[in-house]
Amino acid sequence: MPRMPRPSGGGCGALLFLGICLKRRIEIGILYSRSGSYQLVSDACRMGAMRAIADINADRSSGIELVPVERDPQSNADRYATLCEDIFKSSSARHVVGCVTSWSRKETIPVLEKAGGMLWYACPYEGFEANEHVVYMHACPNQHLVPLLAHVVPRFGANGFLLGSNYIWGWEMNRVARDLIADAGGKVLGERYLRIGETDVSRLIGEIRATRPNFILNNLIGTSSYAFLAAYRDLGDEDPTFSPETCPVISCNLTEGELPAIGESGRGHLSVGPYFAPRPAAFGSSFEASAYASVQVMADVLSRDPDAGPAEFSRAFAERRFSTRLGPIAIDAHSQHATLPVIIGRIADGFFEVVSREDEVAPDPYLSRYDPARTFGRPRLRVVS
Amino acid sequence: MTRTPRIPNLGGARAFILHRPHPTVQAITRQLSAIGLITLDCWPELPPEALAADFVFFDADLGFDEQFPWKPGEAPMPLVALIGSEAPGRIEWALSHKADAQLLKPVGNAGVYSALLIARQSFEARKHLASEIAALRQRVAERQTIVRAVTALSKGTDDDRAYAQLRSLAMSWQISVEDAARRIVAMTEEEGGDDQSHRA
Repeated sequence: MPRMPRPSGGGCGALLFLGICLKRRIEIGILYSRSGSYQLVSDACRMGAMRAIADINADRSSGIELVPVERDPQSNADRYATLCEDIFKSSSARHVVGCVTSWSRKETIPVLEKAGGMLWYACPYEGFEANEHVVYMHACPNQHLVPLLAHVVPRFGANGFLLGSNYIWGWEMNRVARDLIADAGGKVLGERYLRIGETDVSRLIGEIRATRPNFILNNLIGTSSYAFLAAYRDLGDEDPTFSPETCPVISCNLTEGELPAIGESGRGHLSVGPYFAPRPAAFGSSFEASAYASVQVMADVLSRDPDAGPAEFSRAFAERRFSTRLGPIAIDAHSQHATLPVIIGRIADGFFEVVSREDEVAPDPYLSRYDPARTFGRPRLRVVS
Repeated sequence: MTRTPRIPNLGGARAFILHRPHPTVQAITRQLSAIGLITLDCWPELPPEALAADFVFFDADLGFDEQFPWKPGEAPMPLVALIGSEAPGRIEWALSHKADAQLLKPVGNAGVYSALLIARQSFEARKHLASEIAALRQRVAERQTIVRAVTALSKGTDDDRAYAQLRSLAMSWQISVEDAARRIVAMTEEEGGDDQSHRA
């Protein structure tokens, strides 16, 4: 594969000669929304990326200076592809840290393929994708949904109610969850979707009250999720069956960054991720930590070879492990997914207390190695009529 | 009760890629490895181990019958045709091998996963249909046995009642009408019954 064309961007050759500028300037794209319904997550990612850029630029031992080229899609899925294209056209950047929703990531992929660019994606996603123009730096289903259900089913029961925002993350997560719940011997008591930004959750609450599940898988995002958690807390106040101790709301994308918006309603519910902030914390959330680690890994390869293209990155992934703020991580060269810790956390007073932790879980984005018996134990015998 | 599994169990499945050394092979191998399959490429022939493969990807552009250790259309696993040239003759040849799915060359960053799922489902459906047809053929071939059983049971009187009796015997023995007919014919023959004259 061709090496990436990389103009020096800074034009500091003469200054370099004078010994003033020793760093090679490399432009990188930042594509996070600064407003919209999932702004808290987007801000967390952006903060991680910008902090990493600042730290690398301040590091005198690093031979590169990263120059952010930033665009704001304002949470409009249609703007990601055009703004990504704009980054490639108007700068020398070939690496972009960005996208929160899977919708926006999938919109951006054709542009990446055309320009030979690479997206560093710092959010959990639903799996079943392995594009060589994307590095998947947050968890995929065998690192979030499968271990989360394996934890929840023996403790609370196998009957679930599935919620999602009406786009690919919710659809695909719930599709996998249906299969996992069936393998665990449980039933899906309901499956409901809300459009992104919808906050009328009264019908969902009514259905959950009527069907009495053992847990609720929450794939709602942003304001819909906050509205649901608030209404669910009210339901729990009326009927203790719906308390976090007996019927928790479980999520694969809920982090500290959203706890201020959720407040007391979140207490006791569960989430899974590669990082939960200890106290005191280096990062506010796993989104921030993953975005930071994305820039770290990218800079690590580029500082050794500022002209590294996809082939050089692929070789680096195959041969090396990277020291990051998420801990030492490997990136599978075939799927370009990160090996990550899997931590299940319970919401306490504004933070997550760690309930379980497994280190270095290799990615399996297609769930090709998923084994129901190992995940849920031996299947229970059922009466066949 | 049956349910369609939504998580396809592809981990450790073996896929052979029958294609000359080419970037197409690398592109497919990368995708297959990312999904979790074990990939083996070969050219110009499939090795003996290919008989135990879970999937075979084959080149429709330069392929020929002798590459395969089975007759055209009788592959024991799902096949995926790799089509570059859309020359009608080449498509016809790929069709003669009953490819269950196809990938257009050049192969890019995606397409292999859907090809695997489509090929597997289409292969299973074809296998299921073939076994159903074989079973129906066998039942059709037993028409004469049924006639003989009905004759034996009716003793030359009421055929309708004899057929109803045959069905009721099949139900109580919990076997098919054809199997029941065969059993009755055999019993009649053992008894040296009077239906010998009806033997074809």
